[in-house]
Amino acid sequence: MRLALALTALLAPLPAAAAPDLVLAIGGEPETGFDPIRGWGTYGNPLFQSTLLRRDADLATQPDLAEDWQLSEDRLVWTVTLREGVRFSDGSPLTARDAAFTFMTAKQVPDSLDLSAMDRAEALDDRTLRITLNRPWITFTETFYTLGIVPEASYGPGYGRAPVGSGPYSLVSWSEGEQLIVRRNEAYHGQMPQFEQITFLFTGADTGLAAAQAGQAHLVAVPAQLAGRVPQGFRPVVAQTVDNRGLSMPADAPVTSDPAIRQALNLGLDRALIAEVALEGHGTPAFGPADGLPWAGPDDLLEHDAQAAMAVLDRAGWLPGPDGIRARDGLRAAIALNYPAGDPTRQALAEVTAELARPLGIQVTPKGGSWDAIQRVMHDEPVVFGFGSHSPYQLYTLYSSAVARTGWMNPGGYASAEVDAVFARAQAAESMEAAAPIWAEAAAHYGVHGDNAWVWLVNLDHVYLAHDCLDLGATQIEPHGHGWPVTATLADWRWTCG
Amino acid sequence: MALDLRMRALAHAVAVLAAVALAVFGLMRASPVDPVAAYLGPAMAQASPEQMARIAESWGLDRPAPERFARWAGQVLRGDLGWSTTYAAPVGQVLGERLGASALLAGLAWALSGVLGFALGLVAAMARDRWPDRVIRLWCYVLAATPTFWLGMVMIALFAVGLGWAPVCCAGPIGVPSDQAGLADRLRHLALPLTALTLFGVAQIALHTRIKAIEILQSDPVTLARLQGAGPGDILWRHVARNAALPGVTVLFASLGEIIGGAILAEQVFAWPGLGRATIEAGMRGDVALLLAIAMLTAVVVVAANLAADRLAPALDPRQRAR
Repeated sequence: MRLALALTALLAPLPAAAAPDLVLAIGGEPETGFDPIRGWGTYGNPLFQSTLLRRDADLATQPDLAEDWQLSEDRLVWTVTLREGVRFSDGSPLTARDAAFTFMTAKQVPDSLDLSAMDRAEALDDRTLRITLNRPWITFTETFYTLGIVPEASYGPGYGRAPVGSGPYSLVSWSEGEQLIVRRNEAYHGQMPQFEQITFLFTGADTGLAAAQAGQAHLVAVPAQLAGRVPQGFRPVVAQTVDNRGLSMPADAPVTSDPAIRQALNLGLDRALIAEVALEGHGTPAFGPADGLPWAGPDDLLEHDAQAAMAVLDRAGWLPGPDGIRARDGLRAAIALNYPAGDPTRQALAEVTAELARPLGIQVTPKGGSWDAIQRVMHDEPVVFGFGSHSPYQLYTLYSSAVARTGWMNPGGYASAEVDAVFARAQAAESMEAAAPIWAEAAAHYGVHGDNAWVWLVNLDHVYLAHDCLDLGATQIEPHGHGWPVTATLADWRWTCG
Repeated sequence: MALDLRMRALAHAVAVLAAVALAVFGLMRASPVDPVAAYLGPAMAQASPEQMARIAESWGLDRPAPERFARWAGQVLRGDLGWSTTYAAPVGQVLGERLGASALLAGLAWALSGVLGFALGLVAAMARDRWPDRVIRLWCYVLAATPTFWLGMVMIALFAVGLGWAPVCCAGPIGVPSDQAGLADRLRHLALPLTALTLFGVAQIALHTRIKAIEILQSDPVTLARLQGAGPGDILWRHVARNAALPGVTVLFASLGEIIGGAILAEQVFAWPGLGRATIEAGMRGDVALLLAIAMLTAVVVVAANLAADRLAPALDPRQRAR
């Protein structure tokens, strides 16, 4: 034993080697495998593959594979220069041809990635990638952050179970439903993470928590309700999110089409109280779908004021009836509020909303159902929806009239010529950064000081239990979906014990 | 004559399998799950209808149901189990990767519960209404009413988290690739799920054996043997065990289906890398090909077990051989 310790000490003189092999129980196992073309990496971090660009903890753009990226004057042609000397984990060089192949294949394979704005991607030489769009569409850049580049030479069926990429880690073994073991890619071109081996447990939150309690895991994603059950030697880490929950307000339905009703709900619902009661305090008030992100409306904020809400309803002619519920011209201010029955958080939000709306004179009736049942009524009845992403394209899918009532996009059918015009200007911007303030302008029209198109309620906290020795550094504002996104800043994680 | 019987049994089995396939397919058709939406998950919120239609088309979901079923049946007859939409891989491959772990767990649990259940049943019968019988019966009634997944969770809380004797999950140590785990490690990880599943299987067999054994103990031949001075060991071995084996074996084979069902839940709780999660995902996501394959496989095992029980009966009971 002593000999073994002495040997270990001899073999590992660097302080960095003090970091143990990490075990994370944060969920996020992709059933379809680790294939970016089939959507792997859209949330957070493709880990095994590199992307053209990446976002740091402040969501600011950092180069990854791309060294330089230019958009043409007409906003149709991206010219991307790739970093030199990047290699895949199998030793083969990564060239612009691999990048062009990845984009073209992702466009052709019918799966979750929608690259319909792209006309073609081609390699001009080993290091130059040219992507031609069929319309000015700045949010296409989102794929630069999320689409991991795969090797043209060895990509094929089965890639998702044996991914070859140029990311910070490579796959050692994957027992599906059990664990994924990855090892640091020593040839990685970016900032080298401290941890040589990481194991991801895909065992469900209960087993993950049990593993932490038994001292076998270092980071566990837990439902916020369990945030109080911190095992010894652990501490809770709460990440701010745009993982929001809000109420859609169908634009053509009898009650919700009235701006006064929507305004009264936005004014009159006490969001802090909702977070306290429905989320047991593990959430923050939400006023828009992108709170805290650069494309959120800076003034999209409200002070809760029930008196003002009732004054709005009074002025609009919604007068209280004998049972306290308001009515106008024989139409009662009564709405059904749908939520997916299997989701206790949304159920709690629906029920608390109903309680808080009653004193305003609005009758809200929570109605649980399957997503398929909700899909049938979502154009006519409010639904407790959840969104939140790192891309302003989310705003487009929620408020653009071009996608009104298309699939699950803009389910309430909101339509505003002003918002559409702002979105068109934003999509035609020269960069994501330049587009952000333009996107933000739209909130003046759709937001709580404009049409009150949605009634956003809360952003959920994402709670992790972290080993006392594991320093996660700064966490990103996390998108919808708890777990895997936290690995986006893995390179900054530190082991702080000797 | 024997050949004719065998052909009939085979035809019967094929008919059962066809009925299972049709029933599963019909149930999946009637289920409200939209496979494309389930596949996309959160990405659904940004998916255009054209894109969803393209996915549905690439899976053949745009074809009428009878055509899809016929195409599936044709594929299966040619030995191709189809494409799992959940795992984006051939169904045969998905099954191949998971079958071994499930077979090991369920098979061992089945064999152990048979041996243990039979022995406990005999002990209870011999000690009828005395304390060993009462303890065994109480234990069996409690177990028979206990869901495996709950038993598994209690065992994890007690032995893995509380006492630290057993690992909390998985088929091998955390952080060690499955092909590098040693035999001792594998056995250590097998212990808890195997115990949970065995305990679950024991109850039925023990109770059935007990009733049969009591019946035999009250029969004329045993009374005669007693009068002739046979000791309890003699009676147990020569009369009871031999004659109680037949219903025991029949119940054991019939319980195989339940063990498989229990194994699916136990696998989920213990993160055992078998077919359990695949079964649940296939059902939740409307992955028809995968669920059909698992249902057929289970049906084949259960049918085969029943056929085997039928053939074992004459071997154990000479009276049936004469007929």
